[in-house]
Amino acid sequence: MSEIIEAKGLTKIYGGKLMAVDHISFSVEEGEIFGFLGPNGAGKTTTIKMLNTLASITEGTAEVAGHDVAKNPGTVRKSIGVVPQELTADDELSGAENMVLMGRLHQLSASAAKTKVDSLLSLVDLQEASRRKVKTYSGGMRRRLQLVMGLLHEPKVLFLDEPTLGLDVQTRSKMWHYIKGLNKERGLTVFMTTHYLDEADSLCDRIAIIDHGTIKVSGTPAELKTAHGGDIIALTISEGVGDLTDFLSGIEGVSQVTKDDNVYRIKLPNTEKALPSIIGGVLQQEAVIEGITFSKPSLDQVFLDVVGHSMRDEEASSSDSGWENIKMERAR
Amino acid sequence: MPGLATAVFYLALFGSSFNPANLIPSNASQYASSVISNIFGGAPTYITYLTAGVICIILVFNMAFGGIDLVLDRQLGYLSTLLTAPIPRAAIYLSGVAQNLVKVLLLAVLTFVVAFFIPNGLRLPASFGVIDFLGVFGAFILLGLGLSFIFTALALSVRSIDSLVAIVNFLTLPIMFMSNAFFPSSSFPTWLMGIANVNPVTKANEAARLLIVNGTLTSAQLSTYGLDMAYLGGFATALGILGYLAASRALRPE
Repeated sequence: MSEIIEAKGLTKIYGGKLMAVDHISFSVEEGEIFGFLGPNGAGKTTTIKMLNTLASITEGTAEVAGHDVAKNPGTVRKSIGVVPQELTADDELSGAENMVLMGRLHQLSASAAKTKVDSLLSLVDLQEASRRKVKTYSGGMRRRLQLVMGLLHEPKVLFLDEPTLGLDVQTRSKMWHYIKGLNKERGLTVFMTTHYLDEADSLCDRIAIIDHGTIKVSGTPAELKTAHGGDIIALTISEGVGDLTDFLSGIEGVSQVTKDDNVYRIKLPNTEKALPSIIGGVLQQEAVIEGITFSKPSLDQVFLDVVGHSMRDEEASSSDSGWENIKMERAR
Repeated sequence: MPGLATAVFYLALFGSSFNPANLIPSNASQYASSVISNIFGGAPTYITYLTAGVICIILVFNMAFGGIDLVLDRQLGYLSTLLTAPIPRAAIYLSGVAQNLVKVLLLAVLTFVVAFFIPNGLRLPASFGVIDFLGVFGAFILLGLGLSFIFTALALSVRSIDSLVAIVNFLTLPIMFMSNAFFPSSSFPTWLMGIANVNPVTKANEAARLLIVNGTLTSAQLSTYGLDMAYLGGFATALGILGYLAASRALRPE
């Protein structure tokens, strides 16, 4: 298994002032689906733009499919497929015509492109709609079309920037199915960015969590959840018993306890064993349990642990990330 | 198509309402066509004179505002698709230049044809033939090429349609009025005449009108035509170089 993408100290500074990506290093194995997970403004899109030659690299190096991105952008473009965030297929052309156009842009002859169109479109169930103009397509259909538009020239790496942005739950799940299919059947390496935790969890072989331009942690979703997650029991205790944090921490099998008003978040590797002792112990303290919830490890927990705040908090301050975008525009 | 309608309105409505022949009192109307002919370099009707001017204006306006499509391409992400494809950056620029030029030249030919059907419209001399037609459109092609080079590069360089429209609005009216598009520049005040005489629009009109009015040219007229065409060629080349440099910069990675 060789590394098909390798980034070392990759940095992007806009306008000499705004550091969008701060000296990150990572590698992607051939044939895997690798995801950059992070909130808006984290530097995901900037990183992918540096790798697919749309943005220049300020410091550091990146190699894609064996070629230095800064020195040989033309060669890199031949080996990559790029599926952008925006919906860029031409409305006035049919799905098939868009495919042929992309093929020709990638140096295929019209006839060579045409032979591949039907088989590629059938991979994403678009053969029936292929002769219709794209303006009649739904959002999901457009994204599926764009997915295979990037594949006509048989690239080694496919770059997906937020592939299911704005789609409903069912369509998203279908997209994941298509992406996994392309990866398994063609050995296609996929580098994707997303801010959807469930997407990173179910789709990616490995992920890197990125925030404020730096990689906080990386690994397989399972590794990350085990290391930073763990089961959580949230115990709501009624007032009047004092602080039970130390008592709960002392119970065998409990790794960590935090208190928020009268809710105790108990982190523990194995709930089944410790739960009876916890409940028994709390009742012995003559506390009244008002509620218990129990959750298995999730990437949100990993994110919270690693970054210090939940992805949702970051999303809520989206006025901040809007400003980040405006600053970037001005700095350009 | 809207472009053709604008051209026809300019020709038919402006050409009829602003026709200086209207100023000639009715008891002297038999002198109307010789007066027009004298003022407008031998043209039998005002619209004969105006046709070349209107075609140049169509060229300027359509090249300038045609850039809006390119700005949209950038905003909607289509330009990124082109930039990540293994194609030379020059191909992106030159294809933009070519498509704008071809579209507008077709419009120009249609305008020329329509001008015949307007009352007191375009009247060509008997000796006007295919070579003369090519000569007329040769001037328009050179003017259009220069304009397309610079306006396409401009469109690729701006980030929003508002910026493009602001710049273009500022440029097009001076280009249009500081020329002989509507009236011979020889009758302009000195300060205006100086600018008008170096304006490539003036040269294109002059070259086209020599053929439209005279058909076969005398050797003196031919050398004027030749000089005008050389000027237009130089203009197109200079703007081509400038435009290429600006476009290369605009299409660089961000």
